[in-house]
Amino acid sequence: MEVLAQLLINGLSVGAVYALFALGYTLVFSVLGVINFAHGALFTLGAYLTYLLLGGAVGSNGALAGLQLPLALPLWAALPLAGLGTAAASLVVEAVAFRPLRRRGAEPLLYLITSLGAGVILVNLIQLLMGAEAYALPGQLLGALPAVLALGDGLQIRTVQLLLLLVAALVMLLLSLWLNRSRAGKALQAVAEDATTARLLGINSGAMVQLAFALAGFLAGLAGGLVALSVSIAGPYFGISYGLKGLGVLVLGGLGSVPGAVLGGLIVGIAEACVPGNLSGYKDAVAFAFLFVVLLLRPQGLLGRRLVEKV
Amino acid sequence: MKALPPSPELRRRQGWALSRAACLPILLLLNACGGSNGNQPVNLKGGLPVGAVLSLTGNANVYGQDQKIGLELAQAALKPGSPLPLQLRIEDGGSDEAGATSAFNLLIKGGSAALIGPTLSQQAFAADPIAQRRGVAVLAPSNTATGIPELGSFISRVSAQSSVIAPLSIAKALELHPQIKRAAVFYAQDDAYSTAETTIFQKALTEKGLKPITVQRTQLNDQDFLNQITAALQLKPDLVVLSLQAVDGGNLIRQLRELGYKGTIVVGNGMNTPNIYPICQRACDGILIAQAYSPELPSAANRAFVASYKAKQGGAIPPQLTAQAYAAYQVIAEAAARLNQQQPLQGKSLRQVRLLLNKEILSGSYDTPLGRISFSPAGEVQQESFFVAQVRMNTDGRSGRFALLN
Amino acid sequence: MLDVSLLVQMLLGALLALAVYLPLRAGQLSLATPGFYAIGGTVAALLSTRAPALAGDGELYPLSSVLLELLLALLLAGALALVIGGPVLRLQGIYLAIATIALVEILRVLLLNSSWFGGAVGIFAIPQPFDGPEGYLGAYGLLLALVCWGCHWLEQQPLGRAMAAIRDDELAARCMGVDTDRVKLLAFLFSALVAAAAGVLAAHYFNSWNARQASFDASITSLAFVVLGGSRTWLGPVLGGLLLTALPELLRPVGDLRLIVFGLVILLGPVLIPQGLIPRGLINPKRP
Repeated sequence: MEVLAQLLINGLSVGAVYALFALGYTLVFSVLGVINFAHGALFTLGAYLTYLLLGGAVGSNGALAGLQLPLALPLWAALPLAGLGTAAASLVVEAVAFRPLRRRGAEPLLYLITSLGAGVILVNLIQLLMGAEAYALPGQLLGALPAVLALGDGLQIRTVQLLLLLVAALVMLLLSLWLNRSRAGKALQAVAEDATTARLLGINSGAMVQLAFALAGFLAGLAGGLVALSVSIAGPYFGISYGLKGLGVLVLGGLGSVPGAVLGGLIVGIAEACVPGNLSGYKDAVAFAFLFVVLLLRPQGLLGRRLVEKV
Repeated sequence: MKALPPSPELRRRQGWALSRAACLPILLLLNACGGSNGNQPVNLKGGLPVGAVLSLTGNANVYGQDQKIGLELAQAALKPGSPLPLQLRIEDGGSDEAGATSAFNLLIKGGSAALIGPTLSQQAFAADPIAQRRGVAVLAPSNTATGIPELGSFISRVSAQSSVIAPLSIAKALELHPQIKRAAVFYAQDDAYSTAETTIFQKALTEKGLKPITVQRTQLNDQDFLNQITAALQLKPDLVVLSLQAVDGGNLIRQLRELGYKGTIVVGNGMNTPNIYPICQRACDGILIAQAYSPELPSAANRAFVASYKAKQGGAIPPQLTAQAYAAYQVIAEAAARLNQQQPLQGKSLRQVRLLLNKEILSGSYDTPLGRISFSPAGEVQQESFFVAQVRMNTDGRSGRFALLN
Repeated sequence: MLDVSLLVQMLLGALLALAVYLPLRAGQLSLATPGFYAIGGTVAALLSTRAPALAGDGELYPLSSVLLELLLALLLAGALALVIGGPVLRLQGIYLAIATIALVEILRVLLLNSSWFGGAVGIFAIPQPFDGPEGYLGAYGLLLALVCWGCHWLEQQPLGRAMAAIRDDELAARCMGVDTDRVKLLAFLFSALVAAAAGVLAAHYFNSWNARQASFDASITSLAFVVLGGSRTWLGPVLGGLLLTALPELLRPVGDLRLIVFGLVILLGPVLIPQGLIPRGLINPKRP
């Protein structure tokens, strides 16, 4: 029983990362019906921005060697600021890789490639400027908190991962509230539902797409910073390695569904946690086999609506 | 989509596209001709041409970056004053087989007398046979998989295999903690180095009567290891043995310690780099590591190397990959100089120079930052000194040193 | 700058692009190509290193053995494509893409976990049927010509037109009496065969084979070939595959900026020429 509970906790804390990652994917998908392959690179950017804002110095291998911001912000300020910076980058990605195609009503297939190009550029720019080495976020960021919290009965969770789990839940809650309650959120949903009708109703769909990109970028930045807190920044490919699993999570939960992305992340996390230790080599296959079966049985994903075919 | 009759504008554009398409194969064929077969005389203007293929892009980029620094330091230290300096050309081999293959072909065609690289063992299995067929010596600075020198008579390496190093650290751990009874093993199953080394570790453990109580597999790109750690910790190990690279290994150690593991940790050669400090931070303290290179080796060659590295990298300690790349350059430079002294290379054909240089590399002995090294006839490195070190973290928790134990 | 071995890789790129293109012509975004490519390569790697009977007694590995590998790889890939094609092709659009990515990932993990396939190191020292890249250039050139001819022929056939009809509007095609399930399955099958054949030659060409050949990145790269070249006729993916494989090599002079420029090309290509280099109607202007 104890073992099972610990597995659940592990699964939830790993799944929270997947969920945060997939939330950004899902926002863009909901308005454009396409996948933004630059999302992993934006996630990486968020992690590096957090590092710089916390007062970290660039190592000796990048073009910016030795650079250090004159200020060292506390974590609670650095994370949202890194999110804002990433949101700005996300808007640039939208402007160069998505808007020209959207204006022309191009095939959705093309967005996959332009966003892939944007991602390649971002990752390699980061490498050029910051070098390929690993970075740890500077400072004692969790303050007096212990690295691990005991939950009684021998159960334990890493504090960072609890934080990640809480942020994922909070973000999902705020996002759902905002989507369903606010004017802008409803407008965004209207665009996601049917862009043409939304335009007839006087909603500026272009502005809504930008809003979705800005939000997705903000989430990517925030998530990148938080994950960097948990596992350090492995290098410029840091975020890319979540891309494939994030895609799986996105589809599992249901494309374009906010609660779906979170549910999908948690399920994949838990499914991976349930792979017995001596079969740990098959962990990645389990997540994808699960996804495959769900797709065959319920193509729209767990919480998705049936979409009109776009690709 | 309804097809409309093409407008004249569209037609013109299509015509343009067609002519572009038609030109391409002709262009390709023209360029395809004129490969070199090595019969031309070697070009010694500016030095003996030597190529290096490193993973400067792709997910192995951090290794390539460390290696590039080593080559640059070696060049700066060894080129001035040499009667026959090396003319080094570094090419990016990416992190896959196709990239390394292209770069090898490019450098061989460009007249390189010998090659350093490629970064990854998997790339070596693809690219080394090309050099072997063309008769170009390849000196690998970082390939540790089983079977690399066996790829051919022109293939050798300065990177010692784990079979020699790994058992030392196990022996040391048991010497320090004789009460150890239960060993857990972790390795990245999609990494050639990790899978090769874990076999050695497991064999060494079994020979000491410590058959692993569990073997946990991870993936190179994994960053969360909670599941594997939970599974292992349930079995109450008092020794954990890792064959992982710097980033995944660093994260695993950090999580292992945070989740309450108090016992001894032994890590393999892949983590012999200060790159682990920012990742496992305080949790690095006390881990035992088997080293093919120790920054603390008190030889003159190593002192000079460490000093030049510190000067260039702001006081940092050099990683093993950098030292091995430096050594690879040094081996070729010294072999070339010796060869040129015995029989001047000027006027000899490139093919002949390649052949002679390969023989000379394998026959010499070299005083490198790694210690004194030479080669077996098959091309396997024979290194005098291996080390077991213990990580001692500084109080800031972000930097530390590998303190030698033997 | 171009040498023979780069040409070989370019032809390989063109073949992989065609393998992505074939289902796409029937409107199906399948990213299973690297999976079948990996199967082809694995069959070749296993047979040529573990079956002494095939080795022949000459210095070079006999071509007849390569043909045998090819035959077996095609049979295996074809059978597998028919088995999984049925359920998978009921999925549409991005769901199909993800399902095929999932299959490739499962295959990768299976190959990795089986010691029989050499694990992470893979299978190496694969014998050579040719004594230089020129032989591979010939073999790949022949294969590519054959596949191109097949695609060209296909595009004239009712089957090819049915594929195009499904791409334009699957519902309408079904109403017009097209057996859409069968047509899609055939397109998927052709794609698998092309990828597997490319894999057989690639295992020999790269001297080694490992599970990383079946990767998500490879699927997306070959998709970029198709999109940049143009996905309306077979010439598009061929051109896209040739050019985009060569591009990173041709960009070596720009050094550290190499992949940034490459990214710019992928980013700007579809923006500036949304139809790809070879738009529809170039080859068969009269075809509706």
